[in-house]
Amino acid sequence: MTILAFILAGTLAAATPMLLAALGELIVERSGVLNLGIEGMMALGAAIGFVVTYHTHNPYLGFAAAALGGIILSLVFAILALALTANQVAAGLAIGVLGQGVSSLLGKPLESQTLNAPDKLPIPGLADLPLIGPVFDQDVVVYLTLILAVVLWAVLNHSKLGLIIRAVGESPGAARAIGFPVVRIRLGAIAFGGALAGMAGAYASTIYTPLWADGMIAGRGWIAVALVVFGTWQAGRIVFGALLFGALSLGGLIGQAAGVALPSQVLASVPYVVTIFMLAVISSNRRRMRLNTVASLGQSFSG
Amino acid sequence: MSLNRRNFLKSSLAATTAMTLPIPAFAADVLNVALIVPSPAADVGWSHTLELGTKALEAKYGDKVKVTLLENIAEGPDADRIMNKTVADGNTFLILGSFGYMEGGLKLAKAHPEVSILHASGYKTAPNFSPFGARYYQGTYLMGMAAASLTKSKKLGCVGAFAIPELITSINAFTLGAQSVDPAIEVSVVWVNSWFDPASEQQAAKALLAQGVDVIFSNAQDTPSVIQTAEEAGVYAFNLNSSMKAYAPKKYLGVVGTDWAPYFLQSVDAHMSGTFKGASAWLSMADKCVFVADWNPDIPADIVTKITDAQSKLESGAFSPFTGPITDQSGAEHVAAGVTLGDDMILSMDWHVKGVTTPLPK
Repeated sequence: MTILAFILAGTLAAATPMLLAALGELIVERSGVLNLGIEGMMALGAAIGFVVTYHTHNPYLGFAAAALGGIILSLVFAILALALTANQVAAGLAIGVLGQGVSSLLGKPLESQTLNAPDKLPIPGLADLPLIGPVFDQDVVVYLTLILAVVLWAVLNHSKLGLIIRAVGESPGAARAIGFPVVRIRLGAIAFGGALAGMAGAYASTIYTPLWADGMIAGRGWIAVALVVFGTWQAGRIVFGALLFGALSLGGLIGQAAGVALPSQVLASVPYVVTIFMLAVISSNRRRMRLNTVASLGQSFSG
Repeated sequence: MSLNRRNFLKSSLAATTAMTLPIPAFAADVLNVALIVPSPAADVGWSHTLELGTKALEAKYGDKVKVTLLENIAEGPDADRIMNKTVADGNTFLILGSFGYMEGGLKLAKAHPEVSILHASGYKTAPNFSPFGARYYQGTYLMGMAAASLTKSKKLGCVGAFAIPELITSINAFTLGAQSVDPAIEVSVVWVNSWFDPASEQQAAKALLAQGVDVIFSNAQDTPSVIQTAEEAGVYAFNLNSSMKAYAPKKYLGVVGTDWAPYFLQSVDAHMSGTFKGASAWLSMADKCVFVADWNPDIPADIVTKITDAQSKLESGAFSPFTGPITDQSGAEHVAAGVTLGDDMILSMDWHVKGVTTPLPK
């Protein structure tokens, strides 16, 4: 595999766990709720996904269980944030810590065990193209995540459901006044976000690096949160940000291996700096920025 | 009891008192040993090797020694709290398994002269506080010889955690060992800048593979991520501390292992007889601490002979990988012919030998 093919093919897979979690968080934040517990939900999903796949040898079951785990943890958050109208930042951080703790506990008996990664699914025709062929030789979750990004974009911007979610996020009071069940819609969004974060974790532990190591999410949940904010709550920009981040982090490693005369710490920080810079530039139009920002984000609503 | 403020205060007071009362939990003639490690003590890796070392204590002393394992203890204030608690619980022999426990451990040692403490990879010493480490470079030199005999591209790679002297030393010795077999060998290094991130480790290994590297050194990574990636790609790989052959049955090059049992036994003996003295212990093959094992059968017979020969010279102390002439990356002579670097020079190594193609991060 050439270096170009390595970066092209590797980027999609490297971006997938962050992208999947960020897409879930997109829906949550669009409904006006800020859930900072992504890292913990991913960690829990990673542990559950690994344990279930390890024992059943069925990766689909692992993903389903991880999604369920993510939902359950996100519902704990929902109880705090929606039912008890607790501070969303504090509640999110709390379930994040909880998720990481439970994840360590569940994964403990299988520490440093490994799985066989499922086979890749080359797209006939495209995968044989010269140079860019490896881009179309990915595992099924990579394709599904990209399709999901398109679907969520369409739902948010071109469907009644999307309009309702956005209305709840922009002005929960007004949405409530015209008869939408604000809390129930937010509950649904939170559960959806939990499911995607759980599956993002399962992707990391059963497909991307098919082994269990406590703490293996290593901050990717936080990157997902940052992608949503710096992508100004737009699916397309989040995809762009995730791919850019993935490509740059691989590029940094390639640069080191090739002997680029830049310190590895600089190369390691490039993805963060450039991704934030690029997304900030894209969304530098203040009027549009105000338009995109979710007005009621992080505010409790009781009604 | 109803839950009101007065009752709550009363019960929490009672609980606190119960915790602080000196309860004689252990019989006096039993030595309580606590091992504190930063990562999970899994089936492989750094923490696991320390745990094996304490198992040797239990095997020798039986009921006379009781070992408590505290794993996954993050470095920082929380570790200090836990260390203090273990001493308050009656442990009088502590093994601290991470560099970051140094300051907290040293304070504890000064406050409790009756407690003896061993501290991994530090550099500070006190009368009852001994830093210890392993001369991994002796083993990586031999691995370099083996790698040079198997590479076709003449490019070797290393995935490293942080660019600190201990890891730099291992890479330099690995390179020198490889060049002793084939002077044309080059080594690329990728620093992950994390002790623990399997996904980045895997990406780093793949980045090396994309450069045509065909033997990979997993340097101070506790997860099998790199080894697993190498096996999948059909290239040889080796790691430090404990064998990961199970993760790469075909392409596992070998392990530079560490056996802490002799050192732990000797230190506990000294503690029991009251002769424990704080001193730095940088353990070698001669100390039976560093060893090489699980060699891949693909290594040609003539190289095996050379490796065995070099190994016996390392064990007897007749040979050090850092004997000049050694040129550094800039091509300048760093160690003159016939000169052998002293321990202080090796312990503070901040330069790469010629043949390492990646510039060293400063």
